[in-house]
Amino acid sequence: MKKIFLIFMIVFTAQVSLAQVKSVKGVITDSDGMPLPGASVAVQGGQKGTTTDFDGLYTIEAQKGQTLVFTYVGLETQTIVVGDAATINVKLVQGSSNALNEVVVTSLGIKKTRKSLTYAAQELKGEELTRVKDPNLINTVAGKIAGVAVTKSSSGTGGSTKVVIRGNSSFVNNQPLYVIDGIPLYNQGTGQPNGTFGDLAGGNRDGGDVVSLINPDDYDGMTVLKGAAASVLYGSQGANGVILLTSKKGKAGVESFNVNSVTTFDSAAYLPKFQSDYTSNDGDPRSWGDKKKVEGDVKDFFETGVTQITSMAFSKATDGNSTSLTYANTDASGIMPGNHLKKNNFGIRQTSKFFNDRLSVAVTGNYVAQTINNRPTNGLYFNPISGVYSHPRAFTLNDLKTYEVFDPVRNMMVQNYPGFAAVNESNENPYWQINRQKSLDTNNFFNGAIALDYKVAEWFHLQSRYSYNRSESNFQKEMYATSATSLVHSTGRYLNANLIGTQNYADILGLFNTKISEDFSFNGTVGASINNSKTTGLTVDSGIGGGLNYANIFTLGNFVNNNGNVQTGAEREVQSVFAATTFGYKDYLFLDLAARNDWSSTLVNTNDPSFFYPSVGLTGILSDMFAMPEVINFGKVRATYAQVGNDIAGSITSPTSTIVAGSIVNPPVGPMPGTTLKPELKSEVELGTEWRMFNNRLGFELSYYDSKTKNQFIQVAAPATNPDGYTNYAINAGSITNKGFEVVLYGDIIRGEKFNWDTRVNYSQNKSRVNDIPAADGANGRILITDPGSNSYRYSLIEGRPFGVIEGKNLKRDAQGRILINDDNTIQRTDWEEVGNANPDFMLGWSNTFKIGAFTANILIDGRFGGEVLSLTQAINDYNGVSQATGDARNAGGVKINGVRASDGTPVTTMDAFDYYNGTAGRNGASGEYVYDATNVSVREISVGYTFKKDKLPFVQSASISLIARNLFFIYKDAPFDPNIALSTGEGLQGVDVFGLPSTRSIGLNLNLTF
Amino acid sequence: MTLNKLKRTAICFSLLAAFSCTDNFEEINTNPEGATTGQLEQDYNNIKSLFKPAFSRIYISDITWQYQIQQSLQADGWSGYMITPVPFGDTNNYDYALNPGWNGYAWERAYVDIIANLYKVEQRAKGKYDQFYAWSLIIKAVQMQRITDMYGPAVYSKYGADGAVLYDSQKDIYTQMFKDLDFAVAELTKRIAANESSTFKGTDLSAYDGDYTQWVKYANSLRLRMAMRIVKVDPALAKTEAEKAVNNSIGVLKLNADVMKIKSPVDLNVIDVMSHSWVGLFMGADMQSILGGYQDPRIAKYWNTSDILPGQYASVRNGVTYPSGTTYAKFSQTGPRTKTGEVTWMSTAEVYFLRAEGALRGWNMGGTGKELYEAGIKASFEQNGVEGAAAYAADNTKLPLNYVDPLFPANNTPAVSKVTVAWGVTNEENLEKIITQKWIATYPDGQEAWSEYRRTGYPKLFRIANNKSGGVISTEFGVRRLPFAQSETASNPEGVASGVTALGGADNGATRLWWDVNKANF
Repeated sequence: MKKIFLIFMIVFTAQVSLAQVKSVKGVITDSDGMPLPGASVAVQGGQKGTTTDFDGLYTIEAQKGQTLVFTYVGLETQTIVVGDAATINVKLVQGSSNALNEVVVTSLGIKKTRKSLTYAAQELKGEELTRVKDPNLINTVAGKIAGVAVTKSSSGTGGSTKVVIRGNSSFVNNQPLYVIDGIPLYNQGTGQPNGTFGDLAGGNRDGGDVVSLINPDDYDGMTVLKGAAASVLYGSQGANGVILLTSKKGKAGVESFNVNSVTTFDSAAYLPKFQSDYTSNDGDPRSWGDKKKVEGDVKDFFETGVTQITSMAFSKATDGNSTSLTYANTDASGIMPGNHLKKNNFGIRQTSKFFNDRLSVAVTGNYVAQTINNRPTNGLYFNPISGVYSHPRAFTLNDLKTYEVFDPVRNMMVQNYPGFAAVNESNENPYWQINRQKSLDTNNFFNGAIALDYKVAEWFHLQSRYSYNRSESNFQKEMYATSATSLVHSTGRYLNANLIGTQNYADILGLFNTKISEDFSFNGTVGASINNSKTTGLTVDSGIGGGLNYANIFTLGNFVNNNGNVQTGAEREVQSVFAATTFGYKDYLFLDLAARNDWSSTLVNTNDPSFFYPSVGLTGILSDMFAMPEVINFGKVRATYAQVGNDIAGSITSPTSTIVAGSIVNPPVGPMPGTTLKPELKSEVELGTEWRMFNNRLGFELSYYDSKTKNQFIQVAAPATNPDGYTNYAINAGSITNKGFEVVLYGDIIRGEKFNWDTRVNYSQNKSRVNDIPAADGANGRILITDPGSNSYRYSLIEGRPFGVIEGKNLKRDAQGRILINDDNTIQRTDWEEVGNANPDFMLGWSNTFKIGAFTANILIDGRFGGEVLSLTQAINDYNGVSQATGDARNAGGVKINGVRASDGTPVTTMDAFDYYNGTAGRNGASGEYVYDATNVSVREISVGYTFKKDKLPFVQSASISLIARNLFFIYKDAPFDPNIALSTGEGLQGVDVFGLPSTRSIGLNLNLTF
Repeated sequence: MTLNKLKRTAICFSLLAAFSCTDNFEEINTNPEGATTGQLEQDYNNIKSLFKPAFSRIYISDITWQYQIQQSLQADGWSGYMITPVPFGDTNNYDYALNPGWNGYAWERAYVDIIANLYKVEQRAKGKYDQFYAWSLIIKAVQMQRITDMYGPAVYSKYGADGAVLYDSQKDIYTQMFKDLDFAVAELTKRIAANESSTFKGTDLSAYDGDYTQWVKYANSLRLRMAMRIVKVDPALAKTEAEKAVNNSIGVLKLNADVMKIKSPVDLNVIDVMSHSWVGLFMGADMQSILGGYQDPRIAKYWNTSDILPGQYASVRNGVTYPSGTTYAKFSQTGPRTKTGEVTWMSTAEVYFLRAEGALRGWNMGGTGKELYEAGIKASFEQNGVEGAAAYAADNTKLPLNYVDPLFPANNTPAVSKVTVAWGVTNEENLEKIITQKWIATYPDGQEAWSEYRRTGYPKLFRIANNKSGGVISTEFGVRRLPFAQSETASNPEGVASGVTALGGADNGATRLWWDVNKANF
């Protein structure tokens, strides 16, 4: 290997030393022949560059065979190979496809011209990510990319976000891969809730993820690779699409200092509606008592949250060196009292060139530290929202503020929940939960990387990169004595859960780029990578049963027993080799071929830990191949077929017993006897076309895809009588097909001196279908993603149905659709039935930019159409008699129904409100009555900015100020809550609300200064 | 180490283009915090550790909701002991609309938590460390009798077979359990005779603390319990097995110190949690009728007085309408008996009552029916720490009370149990007294009480007011068994089919088990 390398070196050095350097000069003009001053001329791949003078003249040193690149803003870039001539005059024409000549960053950080892409890749400029800033960068993507569904978690500021590209294609993980400067980001979260009751270990909490921690100001832009072809080079991790982020780099010869400050005010929006006419009877926690005005004060519980993000960036670049130093501070108080986030981001990026600019070295380091007090939870346990909504209305929230009283027997303050004889796991005083069950989430993330690029020859680069990611998250909760004893021991409970994840990634790439002949070009990449990730977890928990020796002293030494303390660990390694090539013909026909082979540690003890997958793509620039009418500036068609493999969950094929509370516990999952596991395989066909016309003022892109992911890794219930004691068997079964299309439409509707209007529409629709779920093997044609417990919501994958079916229980009806009522006034109910689907049928994002002089206004309208959501919140509010519906029903003298007595067929038209809601509402009632259309259209982002005139500014290079708003209002919404918020950003708990934090509306100011 | 790793990575890396280094994938893929069988062989932990779950999972004593669906929402209610008056939608076991989501749970826990481990004991200890194998057979019998008495046919001899796992009939299971107990008793008796010191110490988490003699007494008592269960279907075998148990040289439980009990590993009483923390478990109407009528001092140990009638008990009738989960929240909750983490697996009192019934049937039980009956009452009083057993046992006037619902008078109903405590004249009358007293003594183990109720019809319990089984289960006879687990139907359908054949009837809650013969007690 070493020897071969040496030979290469010698050959190329020799070649270089033989080349002749000469001086090339010429004049650059526009299509009308007018000289262009300030146009750029550069030697491709080199450092040399110059600009034309006032007369459009330039002079540059170059060698024969080198390529000169001529660029001028707004005109089409030209490249010319230096021949024998010493003068090269160039005419730059109005760019017919200048945007498509742009270079886009693709897999592994490999740059390609946009027009040569054989698949859909959509970009967002850095400005799009920061204009209406959110502490979580990914939230700003919503509505801006066709085919990307962004769903926020209900855990407030700093929460994680669910991103699904082109529909769900896996039963276990659908999150895309995030890549920063070509290197995969370790985005392991600490887990997402998946129960409708709430987690006993501190509630249904969002453990957060890494991507939510990064500083939006550090990035120049984002490219989303949607399909399998685009991500084949990332293998397993890229199977669900890839989101590429590119760091900002210093601009050559410029020193700058940028300060950005954003302040937004967040208020609770879209609360459920409550009644204020009926109180609760003495001793009854439900508000089905006498008619009496009560305070409708739920909204007073929420505070105005203030989010402040201040970021600064210093950057400086000289010849061969570029430095960028960044810092950002985020301070956000939530709408829930006691909720507060603090985040500090530090970043450094240095690039330097060595050995006559042949070797370029880039080192980056980012560190983030974040703390969140009382991060909001959802579900019934440890969740103040539950009590705020449900508390008996004989008492006001003000009464509840006396959340503790002195108990002389215990000589301590004990919980006081007026209206409750005893608190229980679903009913605790919300102010007690806020003040005496405090939690603290801490996240620290470090990302360090070094990238080397050695230019062996003009046409061959050797690159190697290494990165180390370390994510540490900690959750602490101190729960005081006299909390509900089914959650907290009578002496109190302390929980401290720590999880450390690390990732070591390294790769080596050889990059070829050459013209084989005048007509044929070739570029290719061969490489190998290794990715090792590891997690170690340590949780100490004094538990519900064990308790503390001395009440309310929260430390490990005070634990009565060791039963709740657990240590976990897991590791995974994927080794890969890959190659990708693009052949170009006459710069208008491109053929992509790529292949990859992975070896995954998770497939040890199977038939083969290795798996291979290829991709092929073809694109043709029709507008260059054929003569087109004048109005058409650009036309392209493309097609690809690709496969991506996906390994399985770790440790499954090496089942090991564990010790919990001093007892040996059989491994919960193992392979089914007599079967072997294999990787998932996604195959996708994608067809697309892109057109630009009317001087590039109107353009559209259309993509159609059809993907199938088979051999899904699933777990089915093992027969209880299996001698290994497994609870589940892991098998490969099930497939998901996704078919859909995406349209991106853009137009410069008005382009004038004083007024500009640009518009962009992103449309996507997706149809999914789940198949091949075994009827036997305990699956019974259905896989439950969220188990209902005893609640009336479950989330399932059902044979022949779309991905993500919401199941609930309906009122039982006769042939005429009349509700069947029993003689004892109870209402008949069905067994589990499909009541909806959590995924939208289509999505539409419409963004507009208006420029009027120094003012710029942006408005983004985001719509999701189709799909359903279920609200257990509303069902429970009805059951408790606190909802407006129950108040109205009582005022109207009952609920109007279309019912019939089951025994004798007597029609029933009215039912007592209590009887009706008592029999149909509640967490385990007829949840089909609480299903809503998820369709919603919202004004997602608005900004109105003013850029100060440069000449009027004293010592500042540029300054701008803007008024910003996020989630301003809904143009249309059916559900009683914001359906763009999910209880979990994992796979379960979709399309349901169980006391999730209400969505917020944010309005604020963005100030930007560059010195 | 790190250096080696780096070196290996470097070497792998440079060669990756052509080869891959996957030799350490096994290590990478193995849970670093796990416990491998190899590690566990030290101190014979690969055998000993397998016993631990039995002590907290046969009667689940660590996780409350699991106990609730293992036994509380079934036998604990059907035995008349205690009620969860919550209107669980339309599928509530108490009104005989059986909830399949709950009723397979006992099966799943038994096989996954207990039998899977005992099967490993058999593989690792049989023929090598037979005392452990013997011990595992006793525990297996405890578990499997409960399972077969719930479901009927079950997996016993075919456990561990490849492919479909077929069920044995209940008759075959009982036959095998008797044989297993033969082996266990013989093996341990041999070691006691040889004065061997116990190797169970530290592993045995019951009150017996590894004492071989106590385990033999317990095994004999279990045999007696099993023998009595089959008395109607096979009286000859019942007599043989019962006499074998009682007349064994080591004998059966006789003293209060012999009570078989365990402690919750998390020092929790699941019944107390359900009743008090969850405010979801209350005194059954039959308990108030019988204990209250007899002015039984154990009532204050078992139950607290209510908030709805301060100073008095208030109980809930089985299978009436529970308007909401909080309607009965102020009724009598559980008392001191279920306050600690102690769980009784078998009481000395029960063994006396079993012997009393044997004596009634003319078997050699080492005493007369009356003597043994009164000894049973005395043992139960002693176990519960109350006085006055002699006077109580002699009382021939006090009768069970009518049931009064302080909230809904429509639920009121006259007493159905009409016997006094004092020993009577006829066999049938005395059997009713024995089983009624055994029912009181066995509290809170509803599973055993429900089995004996099905076998004898005693104690006479209030009938449910609303039968929602759709005509499947009769109000007169009540639930006779649990349908096979849903998880089995899904993942072991051939096994379930073999079970239905062995059952000889429909797989529902009305079909009688093998020992549950519909005929007179004598």
